[in-house]
Amino acid sequence: MNKFKEIVEANRAWLCLDCGKCSSVCSITLNLIEGYTSPRLLVETAVASGEDITLEDPLLWSCLTCQRCSEICPSEVNFSAFVQGARQLAFDQGLSGSCTHSGMIQGWMRMMADPDLEQDRLGWLPDDLAVDQDSDTIYFPGCLPYYDAAFGELGFEGLAIARGAVKILNALGIKPRILENERCCGHDLYWQGDMETFQKLAALNLEIIQATGAKRIVTTCPECAYTLRTTYPEEIGDLGVEIYHLSEFLADQPLLKTSEKSSGLESGKVTYQDPCRLGRFSGVYQQPRDLIASLGYELVEMDHARSTSICCGTSCWSSCGQVNKEIQISRLEEASSTGAGLLVTSCLKCQIHLKCAQKIPGGGDSSQMPIRDLTTLVAERI
Amino acid sequence: MSKVKTRQKVILFTCSWHAYSSLEAVARERISCSTAVVPIRLSCLGRISPGIILKAFEGGAAGVLLLGCPEGQCRYQTGNLEARKVVEETRSLLLLLGYDENRLEYQLLPAENGEKYLEVLNQFLERVQNGRKKS
Repeated sequence: MNKFKEIVEANRAWLCLDCGKCSSVCSITLNLIEGYTSPRLLVETAVASGEDITLEDPLLWSCLTCQRCSEICPSEVNFSAFVQGARQLAFDQGLSGSCTHSGMIQGWMRMMADPDLEQDRLGWLPDDLAVDQDSDTIYFPGCLPYYDAAFGELGFEGLAIARGAVKILNALGIKPRILENERCCGHDLYWQGDMETFQKLAALNLEIIQATGAKRIVTTCPECAYTLRTTYPEEIGDLGVEIYHLSEFLADQPLLKTSEKSSGLESGKVTYQDPCRLGRFSGVYQQPRDLIASLGYELVEMDHARSTSICCGTSCWSSCGQVNKEIQISRLEEASSTGAGLLVTSCLKCQIHLKCAQKIPGGGDSSQMPIRDLTTLVAERI
Repeated sequence: MSKVKTRQKVILFTCSWHAYSSLEAVARERISCSTAVVPIRLSCLGRISPGIILKAFEGGAAGVLLLGCPEGQCRYQTGNLEARKVVEETRSLLLLLGYDENRLEYQLLPAENGEKYLEVLNQFLERVQNGRKKS
């Protein structure tokens, strides 16, 4: 059987009922400026017309792989995985989506696949934070040092998230180990279909992490957490350690002693953006909400929250255009209309993408809404 | 990317104006230059972006040199200043990746000055040779 048919079958694409539920929730379909595309249509193309036409379809590259369609699909078609599989085939044929930011991010990710690389990535660690290179708990900041360098101008919190995470772990009595030469987890290259580089990165991380003998990894990036926990075992091998997003990890720990310091918000109301890889992909909805409540904030939910949450509008640094900006602006408006004074998320990319959209002129109140990572919000209260 | 080899190329991005006219002056006078240098002519140095510079290193470049017009003399007013920002941002990424900072450089060149071009180029090549990848 050819590879494309395998991908169609493995992801149940041929069981599509043509019911159109996916089209009614797909952020790309709903915000299209011209033409028409939808998950249903791409699946139909795949089944009826085959590989060549499918790999040329615009949705193959614009799909956010946010999993919103699969969440609602009555036939359990795994559309995101189907898209990923088809992108692998396309990538092998030299096709790819358009990279954002001139390919800078894919550039550093691919450069990290060099086994001889000796990064200098720990300069962000101040002396007052305690780390222990023999610890059985690793803090995995992912590409945060790089994003900090690239997106500081947006007002992105960047390495404050990493420092906050170490401060929180220290408050729990944990001095984490931080790897001097960890690589990008490979999430974005995997979802773009670049399996060769993904596997190189994953193999390097596997070797580096297993050599530490650590028992657990805590990360502040939902994409790192999902990739290390779920994609690595499927594609390269089990790391043999427990993987946690910080919000999950804190849920299992004794309650942090947080100060009564004023939230600085007039209403004390905040709203929360569920990251796709933490929410729909990992089922972590409640833990971040409990943390927000523990800080004394009142959480006011957006209309689309938890499993119906809307993606921040761009994924794997690919195909960002007018449609994506429409998604981001409407999401910001939805956040603003809750009456909350602060938008909290637990994914660095949600923060980067939404802050980028706030720079678009004429955004109104929603473009002024502060956006914070849950990590820094907790850390400032310790 | 494999380890840096002795015959690795140096990528030279120039604008089409002052800097490029200095390259042409060298060519006109038939002065020999290092064959390791690959010049890439842009309409203005403002066209450069971090992704393009990283692409050169990803492809195995030993160094990347950017040459633009002197300050206040950019044909498009601000291209050389934009390029300086891009270089600073890219350098911070390269430092994280463990690359020697001497492997990326930004210089402004007067027009029709082959001598200055050769001086800048040769000094850069020397620094790249001395400051190869740390590993």
